[in-house]
Amino acid sequence: MHSPMRLSQPCPKRRSDGVLRTVALMGTFVTIHVVGHVVGHEGELGQTVQREEAVDRAFEWFCRVEECCTRFEPNSEVMLLANQVGVPVQVSTILYEAVRFALAVAEESDGAFDPTVGYAMETRGFNREYRTGKTIRSTLDSSRSVNYRDVRLDADAKRITLLRPLIFDLGAVAKGLAVDLAARELQPFKDFAIDAGGDLYLGGCNPDGEPWSIGIRHPRSDHELIDALRISNRAVCTSGDYERRAPAEEHGHHILDPRMGSSADAAASVTVIAPNAMLADALATAAFVLGPAEGIQLFDRLGVDGLIISPGLDRHATRGMSDYH
Amino acid sequence: MDKSTLLLLAIVLAVFGLSIAAGHPAWGTFTGLAIILLAAGLAAGALPLQSQDYFEERIGPSQRISNGLITLSSAAIVAIYAAGYHRTSSAAHKFDLQIPQQRISATVAGVPPVAKSGIDAAPPLSPSVAPAIKKNNKRPSAPPRKAGPSTGSDSIGAPRAASAPKTTNPQAGDAARPAAAAQVRYKDGVYLGLGSCRHGDIEASVTIQDGKIALVAISQCLTRYSCGWIAPKTPGGGFPDLPSQVVERQNPKVDYVSGATESSYAFADAVIAALSKATE
Repeated sequence: MHSPMRLSQPCPKRRSDGVLRTVALMGTFVTIHVVGHVVGHEGELGQTVQREEAVDRAFEWFCRVEECCTRFEPNSEVMLLANQVGVPVQVSTILYEAVRFALAVAEESDGAFDPTVGYAMETRGFNREYRTGKTIRSTLDSSRSVNYRDVRLDADAKRITLLRPLIFDLGAVAKGLAVDLAARELQPFKDFAIDAGGDLYLGGCNPDGEPWSIGIRHPRSDHELIDALRISNRAVCTSGDYERRAPAEEHGHHILDPRMGSSADAAASVTVIAPNAMLADALATAAFVLGPAEGIQLFDRLGVDGLIISPGLDRHATRGMSDYH
Repeated sequence: MDKSTLLLLAIVLAVFGLSIAAGHPAWGTFTGLAIILLAAGLAAGALPLQSQDYFEERIGPSQRISNGLITLSSAAIVAIYAAGYHRTSSAAHKFDLQIPQQRISATVAGVPPVAKSGIDAAPPLSPSVAPAIKKNNKRPSAPPRKAGPSTGSDSIGAPRAASAPKTTNPQAGDAARPAAAAQVRYKDGVYLGLGSCRHGDIEASVTIQDGKIALVAISQCLTRYSCGWIAPKTPGGGFPDLPSQVVERQNPKVDYVSGATESSYAFADAVIAALSKATE
């Protein structure tokens, strides 16, 4: 279940001719970092061009996923779906797979994670496009409460049928998915890091030839770390009650308990280590709502590792977490 | 014979058997009982099958997911990657055609703190509306990158090629947009705006050409982030202006920090501030 994190042979040391870029995307900052060539292999310098191109393509994946899944653009694929009730609608592979996965996590977490909270999020004030600052206000044909059971999928035709008008909030899943697609694009280079505002995928080793060293932010102290991990070929995602406050609620933040309709308060921070970022991000969100006890159970059942910091700052970790220190 | 028919037959037989046992002493209790037994047998054949189905429907999927969220997520990534940009965007295009009359009415409203006219008028920067086709010939202030990378990326990327089909989409959406959006023109020029967050300040430069936003870039940043930022969703549709940087470690202790997603509203503030100057 837990593959060994420590590499038996250290990675060779790298020269600093890699690529490092940061771009404002998906409401946050996305950094892609491809490590340079191996010392003693100067012949590989020609790879610099290939790295640049691969990083271009990796960023394109972010754009493509954002385009399909954003709630902040009235004409995005996901927003056009919102009022198409009772009609099977053919959607792109990206949207279909994102929704299918989100529904599977909803089922697995018994609704603690629910992708159908888009309209609720919008009314709580998460309605502002990050690039232009424009706010969006959608009109649903009915504002009856909805949940993940109000969606039907047709796997063969890649069609989605809504049983009620609803807006998907694919924030967590889409960002993770984009990270994973970018990671796949960069796979040939082995050693790279993708940071989507704190959602990470770490390939291979850092420029020092060691597994990437990843700090976990302290949920209550801005410039402090609550843990530091060694990660290679894994995604690390953290959900927290800090960073994004709900404009419409006094103490609210950006993670909604779909079952209660208010901000979740069972945890201060949840970090998940998983084979891919889509899973890590979705499970971090689910565990944030479930709280430490049920959250750790969920991780154990699904075979991922995680660290949950309770509101009182107690640490709850899966057994496998010790492998990453 | 399907299971529900079988069950119905069993019930009919059982009632028949009961009536014989009760009302026809001449035929005897035995015959009645025998028929009831036969009914029970039929029912036994029907019921377990049904409950098995029920079990599969209710328990099955959740069980499968439980064992397979890792598999499911990996498979999804592979499927999307394999489909590539081209196929996914053509599917999206087909989707758009299905609903010429979109029913969702979304209004785009200004954000209070900044000049209202500037925001209402802001043409969307998203690539679904941006003319991606102008990619190469219409990139005003962008100094072309080194020849190698830029020519290569165009020929290599299936991703690149695929942003093109998207350009035909937005008719349906444009109709729903407030009419005012199309009418306000910005004054041509390059405008700077400042945005702040607790990580520091960002200065955005917005280039207006022919009354429209042609390029949005970060011109300066005084935050803990590196200065390679740019809003990628320019009419160029790509990332031609991003400087490639010599790799620098962000922090001597750790390579990266995982935390709750940090928002980039500071960037939006900077863009809004710049746009408000363009309308003055």
